[in-house]
This record gives sequence, C-alpha cells and structure tokens, in this order.
Amino acid sequence: MPEPLEVLLLDDEPIVGRRLKPALAKIGCEVEVFENPEKALARLQQKEFKIVVTDIRMDDIDGMQVLEFVRQRWPQSKVIMITGYAMMSLAREAMEKGAFDFIAKPFKPDDLRRVIAKAADALGYHLDFAAAGEGA
Amino acid sequence: MSLIAISSDSYASGLDIARRTAAALGYGLVDRELLASVAAERGLPQEQLVQALEETPSFFGMRGRRQQELLVHIQAACLEKLREDNQVCYGLGAHLYLVGVSHALRVRVLADPKERLAETAAQRGLPPERAAKLLERQEQERRRWSQQFFQADEGDPAQYDMVLSLGNLEADKAVELIGDAAGYRKFQAMTYSRKCLQDKILAARVLEKLLPQFPDIRVQASDGTVVAQVQSLKRDQRKKQEAVRELASQVPGVNYVEVHVIRDYFGQAAQSGR
Repeated sequence: MPEPLEVLLLDDEPIVGRRLKPALAKIGCEVEVFENPEKALARLQQKEFKIVVTDIRMDDIDGMQVLEFVRQRWPQSKVIMITGYAMMSLAREAMEKGAFDFIAKPFKPDDLRRVIAKAADALGYHLDFAAAGEGA
Repeated sequence: MSLIAISSDSYASGLDIARRTAAALGYGLVDRELLASVAAERGLPQEQLVQALEETPSFFGMRGRRQQELLVHIQAACLEKLREDNQVCYGLGAHLYLVGVSHALRVRVLADPKERLAETAAQRGLPPERAAKLLERQEQERRRWSQQFFQADEGDPAQYDMVLSLGNLEADKAVELIGDAAGYRKFQAMTYSRKCLQDKILAARVLEKLLPQFPDIRVQASDGTVVAQVQSLKRDQRKKQEAVRELASQVPGVNYVEVHVIRDYFGQAAQSGR
C-alpha cells in the first residue's frame, strides 16, 4: 500500500474544499481542508504537508503569507496557489516567492489533479491519475 | 521554460542579440523566417506580411484594414509557435501581443546610437544631421504603428521587463543578462500563464476568421469561450450576431460564442439622414 500524499487545502469559500477534497481523494491524496487561514497556519506549524493548496485573497492573512510561511517552515513542500483574481503581476510574485504552480479560478478538478500529480512526481510520489476517471 | 520576446530600435541589432541569446541558451528562434510558412499556409504574399510589420498605414501605402488582417495572421502563427517552451522571438511584434503572459520575458534592445546614426548615414548617403532626422521620423512612425495596431507605445520602456542599451553594454554582456533574467522563477511557465497563452492563440484564430468580414470586431477568449464585440446598426443587429457566432464556432477549440453589439451611432445617423 503506497503512502498517501498529505495535502492541506485552504480556501475561505467552503464550497471549494467540499468539491476538491473528494476529487483529490480519488487520486490517493489525504486532504485536510481549512477555511480559516489562522487555523491552517497553526496546523502547518505542527505538521508537514507534502502539498499545500491555498487561495490567495482571504481576510486577515492572504495566500502569499501562507506561501512564505510554508517555504520557510517546510522548504520541501510544494505550494500551489489558486485565485479568482489572477493577473500577471500576482502570478509572477507567487512564482518568485517559491510557488510550485499558480492556477486561475474557475478550474476543473482535473486541472488541479494534474498539477498535484506533477508536484507529487517532483516529490517522488506516484499518483494514480487515471483512477479519477475522465472529467470526474 | 520561458519565452523571450525581443524588440529593438534597430532591426539588425535586435536580430543579432536574438540569435546570440537563442544560441547561448539552447532555445529555438522564432523570427521572420516564420513568414514563409504563414504565407504558404494562408495563401498570402510574403512581402506584404513583411510590409505589414514595418510600415505605418498611409493613404498611398497599405490600407489599415488589410494590414490589421495580415498582422493577425502573423500573430496567430507566432503564438502557436510560442506554445513550445524555450523560444526567443524577434521581428514579429510578439512583445506587443504577449502582454499578460507571465512566462514571456519582454526585452527592449537599444542599439548603440552612434553606430546606428553612422550606419543610417552610410546606407542612405546622408549627412549626420539628416540621418538623425530620418531616424527620429522612423521612431515616430514605429510608435504610431504599435499604437494603431496594438494600442501600446513600442518605445515606452514601461512595456518591457528589461531594457538594454548596446551603447553601454557589449552584446555578449547583454545576452548574458537576458539569459540570467530568463532563469528567474517569476518568468517560469505555470498553469495560469499557459492558459493565458492558449486563450490568446484561440482569440487570434477567431480574429483571423472574423476580421475580413467584421473589421471593427474585438475578440477575447477564455477556456474555449469566445466573447466578440461588434458594431452594428439596430436593424442589422440580430443578423450580425448570428453571422459572427456561426463563423467563430467554426474555429477548432471554440465551445461557446457570446456576441455583444455596440450600436453604430455614426452609421445610424448616416442612415437616418438619407
């Protein structure tokens, strides 16, 4: 039995976590969902997640701060940024700060799964991308 | 994993830097050689494509509408080519239509002004003062060209990620600096920037299809959805919307077409005055 890939998913819109958690579970990810960035940071302080998926625009603490925190605390972790306010300057800033990838909302679950599979590859994990089924 | 779009105030100096950069980084070079295939695939005269890239529309020269169509053909072909990573692009205006694609490093190369002046004077057989005036006029025309077709001032340093002056830098050093910048993480391709590029490719393909019939059309694309904006008289509105929708839908990759009509008040006034 391969070791599950631990993913932390942070988005202040509850629907995002509700939709993406089962979508990522299908390819073998063990997902913890957070809507509150403070609680997510507290969890990240304690535990290393191989992959962190975070929204950018949130109240109080934004995704860039989460990215910086993770890069400092767990440099091996891969951080994927998702945002409904994508623009070139933000994308470049995220990449410069060490994001693994940057995705504009709305996206299909398959789009995120593809990026997660790529990040998993970079970490030496193999995810069964086909297990999710086309467009599921 | 990035694209480098080079622009220059001197075609020869820019081409030299583009070639050297591509060779130094092991990147492909997308330059005016592409025009041969654009011409062959679309049945266009190659010399007109070159003319469209170089000349400002004038009463006696190429008409703006035709020039716009030719530039869109070049744009569609060039963007398609730039879907491949690790390319240096020069001489096709890509710095003007890659705006918003974050993995495209846009570089302006300024030729050594003394050399440029001397070359122009020698080539045209002009005294330095007249050669300087000629260069000034050419620069103004170039700005008009970029503003007319791409709504941007090509000479404005704010359009670029990097501006290099060959009056102060050796060519090798300029190439080294471009290579270093291309390696920055901020210029690496990502899902979002690839999507931006893909959307631009689709918008250009749709424009290729629509422009000959609808010269005032504006097109944007996102994930297979195309939003077109066209001017129309009130009475032609529905017919025009249908025609745009039908033509745009024929382009592979288009899933949905939304057509917005802007009322053509000048046309309307002209009609009612008859």
